Amino acid sequence: MTAKTLAPSRSLLLAFWLIGGVLLAFILLPLLQMIANQSPARLAHVAAMDEVRAAIILSVQAAFLTAALAGILGVPLAYLLARAAFPGKGIVEAIVDLPLAIPHTVVGIALLFVFGRTGWIGASVNALTGYQFWGTLGGIIVAMLFVSVTYTVNAARVGFESVDPRLEKVARTLGAGPWSVFTRVTLPLAWRGVLTGLTLTFARAISEFGAVIVLTYYPMTAPVKIYDLFLQFGLDDSSAMAVLFLAVALTLFILLRYLAYGRRAAPGGRA
Amino acid sequence: MTAALALDRVSLSLGAFALRDISFAVAPGEIFVVLGPSGAGKSVLLETIAGFYQPDAGTIHIGGRDVTAAPPEARRVGFMFQDYALFPHLTVAQNVQFARRDDPARTRDLLARLALAHLADRKPANLSGGEKQRVALARALAMDPALFLFDEPLSALDARARDALRDELKTLLRQLGLPAIYVTHDQTEALVLADKMAILRDGALLQIGAPSEIFNAPADEFVANFVGVETVLEGETLAASDGDVRIALGSREIHAVSDHAARRVLVCIRPEDVALAHAARGDSSVRNQFDARVVAVAALGPLFKITLDCGFPLIAYVTKQSYLELNLAPGVRVIASVKATAIHLIDRK
Repeated sequence: MTAKTLAPSRSLLLAFWLIGGVLLAFILLPLLQMIANQSPARLAHVAAMDEVRAAIILSVQAAFLTAALAGILGVPLAYLLARAAFPGKGIVEAIVDLPLAIPHTVVGIALLFVFGRTGWIGASVNALTGYQFWGTLGGIIVAMLFVSVTYTVNAARVGFESVDPRLEKVARTLGAGPWSVFTRVTLPLAWRGVLTGLTLTFARAISEFGAVIVLTYYPMTAPVKIYDLFLQFGLDDSSAMAVLFLAVALTLFILLRYLAYGRRAAPGGRA
Repeated sequence: MTAALALDRVSLSLGAFALRDISFAVAPGEIFVVLGPSGAGKSVLLETIAGFYQPDAGTIHIGGRDVTAAPPEARRVGFMFQDYALFPHLTVAQNVQFARRDDPARTRDLLARLALAHLADRKPANLSGGEKQRVALARALAMDPALFLFDEPLSALDARARDALRDELKTLLRQLGLPAIYVTHDQTEALVLADKMAILRDGALLQIGAPSEIFNAPADEFVANFVGVETVLEGETLAASDGDVRIALGSREIHAVSDHAARRVLVCIRPEDVALAHAARGDSSVRNQFDARVVAVAALGPLFKITLDCGFPLIAYVTKQSYLELNLAPGVRVIASVKATAIHLIDRK
């Protein structure tokens, strides 16, 4: 919405662009410098390493599965927060936001208490099915989900709040039951919000390091492998893999944003 | 004859607001207008009829069937919200077939009946107000409604669009022959649309009756103030030619300029359009001159409200100067004149 109101003064705009430019440079410069420092030979060398490719594929897989799980688990809660009035709503909102406030190594340690060898879920799932959350894709997803599901719940909630309740009411009078109204009217109309949330969850999940490394060092996700290369071989190999991984993660992120916002907004649209 | 809709002593408490002991019935094919100021509970009343609220007490019957405990999807009511709440993610055709996805032939038939076939693939955002109204009607008709509920569908529009859509809606409802409850805070809308109407205030119905009854014989001061003091009279058209309509009002006749020529009409006269004098004027442009007797005089701010008996009741506003010059008091005889162009006619069924 652009209203023709009093235009902000030139000097103010200029000053703010200067300050904003510093911030943009702060974000972009390290990444660009890292990319600029790569030689094609080094990139090819790292890309040829089986472990590197496996780690990147694992990260992508785990982040997609995390986003899917966040959708299944997060959308119902998002709908409740958007539509239902219930006592303790503020507490529920705080719980949803909690993962953003906890250091990720702490998250990993806390998850060990529940999903680890002796944790009550970890131990009982292992006893019942033989599956274990340590050293597996499952453990990676548990760690990723904890740190990233907040984004899905909050963005999907905004999506649901933007759906006019009268549309749901009209649908009821047209003979649709509550479930049918949700799948035929509410969810399609809130879809953009849900997709935004899933995209942010995906981005947050694929970049997670701290919680993953505590809960599941092996198999290595890309951030863990980059750290591993850094410790073993120093900056050259680890930064080359970092650039490869960045290329993959950013491409996927832009594609998802394109899905959520359409042509105009990718990659530069507003979230 | 079974009522299309019957509410019997319906009460509902919603926090500070309550519907109190609401009873009324709507006959088949009847347009029943609920008129009330904002906050009176008009929307809550409609949403209770539609099944979004469960009454604390009382019963609701639709077509003789007790639906008091039925969910909205089992009531067969076509709900028309303000702006019509079309599904923005669906095309016109998909909106219309929302209720009956299994019956594309019915959708085609409804689109054709409401002159929407050429818009079938459009999204609602690209429709005019009249088109939206017809899509909403078609969408509701698809599930074969027993009754329509209108929640101030026109109140977001500008005056000109509102008048046009209101008239189109009335024509469509008459053609469809389905009963409808129409809530509004707009007196004109009520007068134009209503076969029968009710006044709602603070969750209670103050008066139910024909529009002419309510406008002429308001049950209490609130109703009188709310509906205004227009003179509204039932008349019968005697002749109409070239825009000149001659109407019988009891034993008197009145001329109006209008292209309406229904047999039964409501004759509406605004009090500021009534001029009073002691002698008839020779001016032939004023065709409606009546011998009148002053029944009552009331000071109304800068104006005086004069209630007259001309063989039919008539209300006039005069300035303080006229009031003094004419020496107006109960029993005084005057000539009341109204220009034919100042008379507003509303068609009756």
